[in-house]
Amino acid sequence: MTAAWGTLLCVHPCISRRPSYYNGEGLVPLRSHRVDCFPQKLFSGRQSKQRSWFAGVHAVAHGDGEMPRFNFIQKLKKPSGISFGEELMRLIAGASSAPIAQYISSPRTLLHSLDPRVKQAWLFVLVFLPSRSHVSVRVGIVMLLSVITILFLPRRTWQDQLGRVSFLSVLLLLMVSLGADSIPPIVQTRTPPPQLCGIPPLPSSFTAYKYVLWKLGPFQLTRKGLALGTTSACLSFTVLQSASLCLSTTMPEHLAEGIRWYLAPLRWLKAPVDEIILTLLLSLRFVALVFDEVRNIALGIVARGVQWKKLSSLETAEVFFTFLGRVFKNLFNHSEQIAQAMVVRGFQGDAAAHKVYYMANFSLQLPDYIAILALSVLIGVGVASEIMLC
Amino acid sequence: MQSALGLHSSTNLVFGSRKGVPCVVRAHVGAERVSIDVQNVNLCFQKDSNVLPILKDCCMSIPEGKLWMLLGPNGCGKSTLLKALAGLLKPTSGKLYVAGPKSFVFQNPDHQVVMPTAEADVAFGLGNLDLTVEEVRCRVMKSLEAVGLLELSQRPVQTLSGGQKQRVAIAGALAECSKVLLLDELTTFLDESDQMGVVEAVRRVVSGSDGVTALWVTHRLEELDYADGASYMENGHVVLGGSVAKVKKFVLEKQEEYKRSISF
Repeated sequence: MTAAWGTLLCVHPCISRRPSYYNGEGLVPLRSHRVDCFPQKLFSGRQSKQRSWFAGVHAVAHGDGEMPRFNFIQKLKKPSGISFGEELMRLIAGASSAPIAQYISSPRTLLHSLDPRVKQAWLFVLVFLPSRSHVSVRVGIVMLLSVITILFLPRRTWQDQLGRVSFLSVLLLLMVSLGADSIPPIVQTRTPPPQLCGIPPLPSSFTAYKYVLWKLGPFQLTRKGLALGTTSACLSFTVLQSASLCLSTTMPEHLAEGIRWYLAPLRWLKAPVDEIILTLLLSLRFVALVFDEVRNIALGIVARGVQWKKLSSLETAEVFFTFLGRVFKNLFNHSEQIAQAMVVRGFQGDAAAHKVYYMANFSLQLPDYIAILALSVLIGVGVASEIMLC
Repeated sequence: MQSALGLHSSTNLVFGSRKGVPCVVRAHVGAERVSIDVQNVNLCFQKDSNVLPILKDCCMSIPEGKLWMLLGPNGCGKSTLLKALAGLLKPTSGKLYVAGPKSFVFQNPDHQVVMPTAEADVAFGLGNLDLTVEEVRCRVMKSLEAVGLLELSQRPVQTLSGGQKQRVAIAGALAECSKVLLLDELTTFLDESDQMGVVEAVRRVVSGSDGVTALWVTHRLEELDYADGASYMENGHVVLGGSVAKVKKFVLEKQEEYKRSISF
């Protein structure tokens, strides 16, 4: 689609004071000749008075057929003094309709060509290794993951991914490090203090060892806090970022095929492996529909121009319950239609009988062997750090 | 539902029910072999004690190897008839015959596309056929090429536009190499150039292959130019069928009549 309709906005005062359209770089105020019709012309008499907020302005812009990179709902000027309900609904309406860390088909990198089974083995090791190894290994893994992400993903993607994950990890580091020992539990000792027994108190350490590393008011950073903080932050960063990296560079059906390969031995125990994998694939498709449905219904409510300020708390809650009800109703309808489509396309309820083609030839190449070797080295370093440094 | 009716997309759909007894029907009109034959079909929805008739004594025959358009106002029963032909709905009475194998494309591509990426979804319909991986790959690539989506074959479906998703759904139907294509308002989500691109793609499939028939539900009169014949439905039954010129003239006359009725 070389020239597609880029953006079609239906603008009303709740979204923007001034009609504008997105031209690929930013918002451009709508010129008078682009205004197709005015509300007063659309409605007459009582209807016009009731719906005077509606401005049926259609703006069109030519795009390149790619998905819009711009979230216009969030960027449009917000009316001042909006209520919490409206703010929340606008936030939902402005959320991305695509799930987080979805597959990026282009540009194709070395990570894309790696066998999904190798990537899943890496994922598995990266989940367990940081929890057992020395802090220096944990930090090393975080740095390694960051460098790989920066090297292999497009700039906009790695900035977004690393930004979000780093923010979460730093927040976790601060909260756990400072919170671990800042409010010590009040414990009643079971023996009287040494002074009462005539025993001299324990001598202070002659070395530079200090349990409390830093103290400010009620907050204190202790060795225990630091160890807990770095562990939780590094573990969170590693788990989230390695999963994002894997999802970004592996097609969903290749992931499913990899998992099927790992689960294959369970067939001996009569486990329904094919059914599990088909369910996983359908879920991966359905997740996107859920995001889309939630966003669309929220957008519909925002566009209705609900007078949020005039609503009581109970009425606001009622709007949200109606919203949730509608979301579930539509999702059940989607499920039914998808089930019908599957039947029409030849699926007869038996996942083992209906073959799912993954369009991939799984065979280990040189990069896969190198990745396996690197993984072995990483496991070796982790084990060595646990034995020698801990 | 399909299995409950004893139907399968890769076999001839043969359905007939006289007083609830299924029977085998082979359709011929004169010397011409037909791919779709609908004889006195009635279909009602029942809720509690209320019976809502949707299709009323529908009759329609579509010769083999034709692109046939089905027109009519909203709510007249076009999609219901198409679903009955696909085996998704069971007629209350009457006879239906559809040559097999057949493919159905829904109006909303989000209901049709079930796999996470474009190429996996196109390959999904081939799951019950005994094909080699190479053959599947060849069919998938050819179908995606036919709808102009070859370069987006590995894109996640949620990143495609409505029109692109619709084309993935069409590619899925084309990949099944069906004898009958049942297409429900395919061009609803497409822009002007894509609409024509899709109509031309279906036209090529029908003209270029041996005995492929397409029944296309539409509201757009300009798409009639690509058809070999058309039928017009109103209020649950087919009121007119035959040549494109005849149906087009009828629709234009109805439009004029409507314009006169609303003008003062």
